[in-house]
Amino acid sequence: MKKSVVLAPLDPVHDIGLKMIARGLTQAGHEIFLLPPDLTSDEIIETIFSKEKVDVLLLSRTLGYGVGEILARFIDVSDAAGLRNNTKIGIGGMAIRPELAAELGFDAGFGPGTTIEEVICFVEGREYHPDPFRSKKEKIDMTASYDYQYRHTGIGEKLAKISDMILDWVKDKTSPGVKRAKLRDELWDVDRWRRREGNGELYNQYPEMCSEVPQKYYTTGELHPKTRRFTVEEVRGLEHYLEETKRRMSVLKLQHTRKKPLVFNQYGTGCPFMDVGHILASEAWGADGVVHFDPSWGARTEGFLDGFLTHQEDGTVITPANLNRIHGALEKSTLWQVRAHRGLNTPETVVLAGKIGADLTKINICYGSLGAGTDPERMTIDGYHSILFAKKYNMPFDVVTNEELAGVPAHKAFAGMLIVSDLAVRLGARPILQPLFAYSPEVMIHEYMEDNYIDFNAAKIYALRQIINAPIWPGAPIGFLTHTEDRVQSATTTALHACLAMSLEVDAISIASTDEAYSGGPISVPAKIDTLRAVQDSLRFFGQASIKPTPQADKYAEQITERIEKVLEQVIKTGDFVSAIHNGVLGSREEGAYPGRIGKDTVTTI
Amino acid sequence: MSNPLHQIMDALDVETFIVCDNELQGRNIMLNMLKNWGFSDVDIVFAQHVGPGTRIRGRAYAYRPADKYAWLLREAAKVDQP
Repeated sequence: MKKSVVLAPLDPVHDIGLKMIARGLTQAGHEIFLLPPDLTSDEIIETIFSKEKVDVLLLSRTLGYGVGEILARFIDVSDAAGLRNNTKIGIGGMAIRPELAAELGFDAGFGPGTTIEEVICFVEGREYHPDPFRSKKEKIDMTASYDYQYRHTGIGEKLAKISDMILDWVKDKTSPGVKRAKLRDELWDVDRWRRREGNGELYNQYPEMCSEVPQKYYTTGELHPKTRRFTVEEVRGLEHYLEETKRRMSVLKLQHTRKKPLVFNQYGTGCPFMDVGHILASEAWGADGVVHFDPSWGARTEGFLDGFLTHQEDGTVITPANLNRIHGALEKSTLWQVRAHRGLNTPETVVLAGKIGADLTKINICYGSLGAGTDPERMTIDGYHSILFAKKYNMPFDVVTNEELAGVPAHKAFAGMLIVSDLAVRLGARPILQPLFAYSPEVMIHEYMEDNYIDFNAAKIYALRQIINAPIWPGAPIGFLTHTEDRVQSATTTALHACLAMSLEVDAISIASTDEAYSGGPISVPAKIDTLRAVQDSLRFFGQASIKPTPQADKYAEQITERIEKVLEQVIKTGDFVSAIHNGVLGSREEGAYPGRIGKDTVTTI
Repeated sequence: MSNPLHQIMDALDVETFIVCDNELQGRNIMLNMLKNWGFSDVDIVFAQHVGPGTRIRGRAYAYRPADKYAWLLREAAKVDQP
């Protein structure tokens, strides 16, 4: 129904917001009277009474000084004049907060960030629901449009030879990790477990395949010293909290007019309940996906614990119950990655995550061997089976290159990433390349970023695209080693790296919180929101515009590509992939890469 | 009314500018201030002293992982209410 609306600025000059709202209301079919600035309260009220009927008065106030007194006086005068008998009064503007408006007796208060639609709803007496086009999100398969064809035939041919070597090496080998994964795959029925009908026959054999901590748990009920079970009261609290929060939950989109990149952040406070709180906040502020981080001791342990457990330190313990609760709390549109890349539970993590419903996982044999402490033989056989399980459970996975942070040059880390990716494609899986956007030791030593942080990071993407048509997801997080403890600096560097990623049209990014460089305690929720907000505004700033690297990026890309090919030649020359890792071909001790020892001598011949 | 601090999900950050001679002084002032406000689990996330004083962010953890969070337990209490 058509409404009669008077709009009046309570400022000497500012009325831009009211003009925009007047236009919106006119387009919506309402009758509009826009008064000039600098009228007194009495003049505004007189104007209203001079008209036959005014349904709504919309006031605005931009200047902050004296706002409380001015608005209170206006309400007093309008009450005395009987204005409010027939007219609703709303107030908006930069100086307005909804709580102030309510306190003073206005019918509505519209602060900064109010949409025109919101005001129209107030005028029409309708409940406001945020624009579904801004908040509607769907899960996206970032691998869907890639065929993994090699554009660089020389590198493609070399990778094929190396995959042959690996396939030949793994064919008669197994490990405790592979055996546990196969057991979980065959005997654990997630639907039955969700119906509280137990674990079937899994735990008849499982405990004896585990190392000390899980074995103790299954035989005596003893937990890891830093963990405890949740109480019944806590569980009921979580369920009610989720029920209430989900009812009012909405999610932002960070991307403006582009579709890419998807934005991920990580969680892993130690406590799955705190994680749920962090995840809900991340989703609400626009994260497209979240990444599960488990404790570092999880990578050195054979087997998983069970139960609903909270952990006092970094990393949330992987148990079926913990993963299931987290999965149940996620928004339907949220991509969920459970990383499996680096330890003795790698293949079983993929199986468990796959059964519970993860969308993505993370596997890299080279990083797991050289940067994460796992024995190269063990990591190779476990990695191979992890890839097979990732395929079975329909989970694309990123191949992370974090060994760069130890000092391994990008071209060596990339050679390792491409080896694992080629193997994965050969096995029918869908790998995602994960180069770092980082101020890495290699970059510092060679001064590749002396002028800017753009060219060398861009060169990585150029190089990978010259080699293969595959999805790319820089991480993790982007801007590694450029963050400081300064919140503003940290959010800025994340946002700028996000804009570089956007300009390069990569498929996804993982971002840090502004607590990235702070090591004194757990990451806080506001620190996560800081970077999500910074990224959203930066993507809005650029729209379809871009960051343009200098010609130096092409030179770096050429250099990286040439060096990758040479590394692959050396791997072939070594004759054996595992030996190549031990010999430093994919990252040497001098470069900070040490072949891991966890799980040494546990690989057996079938 | 319940303690409003119980509704903080994890940590309370305080950002300000402290007029002082050096960073150490700024840090001490912030830590003492947070302790005087009744917080025990406190830290400095960031401090930078330049010229007239220290730009600083202090943090008081209301909860650390594996604590019992009142914002969650009150949800359980709501369920119990008739």
